Amino acid sequence: MAETKINIGPVHPSTHGVLRLVVTLDGDTVKHVEPHIGFLHRGVEKLVETRMYMQSPSYMEKLDYVAPISYDEAFVATVEAALGIEVKERAQYIRVIQLELQRIASHLLWLGTAINDVGQLFSVFMWCFKDRDIILRLLEEATGGRMFYVNMRLGGLNRDLSPGFANHAYKVLDYLEHRIKEYGSYLESNPVFMERMKNIGVMSKAEAISMGVTGPTLRGSGIDFDIRANYPYYVYDKLRFRTQFENGGDCFARYKVRMDEMQESIRLVRECLHTIPEGDAIGMPIRLIGPQPKEKEVVVKRELPRGEVMMYMVAEGQRPYRFSIRAPSFINTSVLQHLPRGHRLQDLFPILASVDTVLADVDR
Amino acid sequence: MDETPYTQEQFASAKQEMDYLVAESLKGRKMPINAVFAKLSDVTKAIAGGAITWGRKSSLWPMQFGLACCAMELLDFGSARVDAERGGYLLFRGTPRQTDVMIVAGWVTKAMIPEVKRLYEQMAEPRYVIAYGECATCGGPWWESYNIIQGIDQVLPVDVYVAGCPPRPENLFGALMKLQEKIGGKIVEDKV
Repeated sequence: MAETKINIGPVHPSTHGVLRLVVTLDGDTVKHVEPHIGFLHRGVEKLVETRMYMQSPSYMEKLDYVAPISYDEAFVATVEAALGIEVKERAQYIRVIQLELQRIASHLLWLGTAINDVGQLFSVFMWCFKDRDIILRLLEEATGGRMFYVNMRLGGLNRDLSPGFANHAYKVLDYLEHRIKEYGSYLESNPVFMERMKNIGVMSKAEAISMGVTGPTLRGSGIDFDIRANYPYYVYDKLRFRTQFENGGDCFARYKVRMDEMQESIRLVRECLHTIPEGDAIGMPIRLIGPQPKEKEVVVKRELPRGEVMMYMVAEGQRPYRFSIRAPSFINTSVLQHLPRGHRLQDLFPILASVDTVLADVDR
Repeated sequence: MDETPYTQEQFASAKQEMDYLVAESLKGRKMPINAVFAKLSDVTKAIAGGAITWGRKSSLWPMQFGLACCAMELLDFGSARVDAERGGYLLFRGTPRQTDVMIVAGWVTKAMIPEVKRLYEQMAEPRYVIAYGECATCGGPWWESYNIIQGIDQVLPVDVYVAGCPPRPENLFGALMKLQEKIGGKIVEDKV
């Protein structure tokens, strides 16, 4: 049969942002997918180089707008490494609490939108957004912002947790634990969902490693690798943290990893709230002239909800001379060239959703 | 053949005109039937104009068009907590042809300008544009970037601007209510 080329995007309800895909089809079978990116490029790295260190976290948050706190923290950690600043112990715990809450919110958003692509299971979308909103309210209570927080400061935070935070958080966590279990049981007993997720977009261990994917996409292929466990930062080595991974490598395995990670994050937040020490958590205020850098070149790795981010910074005086990001979504998007090959066109969107890319992070 | 065989001034009201036209059209078809229908539709519009405006402003269908961060709040706007449907902003549609209002949520890069223009042109008239958030309003934090335009109003006519980075979903509700007032004629646009 003759080959057909179709264009999807850049504005399409299922591409989760402005991604353009040129799909070569043979009948109904996908022969080749060519992702076209760059519709959101705005030169973040260049902008960061023109600003002082602590002016940039608000740019960083807009890179991955589904999990802003994670990027914010990664950038502040890079600056701390360059300036040689230690983070206060209580602040470390609070950062972990906020990072893990953000991870749950991000995965819930993923669940809602991805399941919507699988078979128009729109109720799940509504439930997930309701639950995500509860977490956003909790984070708003802790930081003062609804979506963008800019709460990290050098050596600590802008705000300590509010007095009633722990009680509120325990209630929310109990509720979420119950809800996420429920979603899992609903979805896994839904034949449409299982049919469209099982054995779709299979990525073997070797493929996953050679393509350089990270995060739940990597762990869905049965690889036990997580920056939080393998290169622990903050208090992750003190917590009882288990890397969640799943053998299988298909869309269902990637879904399962994210569901398990949400439960793991709930456990981590609970443990942090139990063991958090008293003390000071407030970081340095933002000044016009800050401390001088001690290290010239730093690299910091962090585990974001979407994968591993690596930030490289050459510090010189009051602003970075060079700043570069290895964005997880960018690398993960590249698998779209390989995974849908041989599948039918309708399976393209579950695969795209299961990789979980944020296009602002891809384009930077 | 298309010109009407009478002047509009000879009638006191629209109803009289309509009666005359109907009588004329029955009287041996002196006047082309097309003109009768054209006039009739004018008259109907004059009578039903209020109803049409009411219909237009009470069922604004937004386009599902997310660019960047603000699109997350747009999703939240459509979901359970804010519940957009109670305001008449019914369904987010995937195709521009079924929509009335375009919510530009996010920064517009140079690569996106032709796409945004094309989407706007695909929408059926009357069409409205809301610039949602700092980036769509004025470029926001990316003001100095080499690849961003400083506000969507450089390429499209904007009806309502919403400030915030990102604005809360409730603000979008407020913006759509403002747009309804504008369609209803309560707000007269400032010509700058």
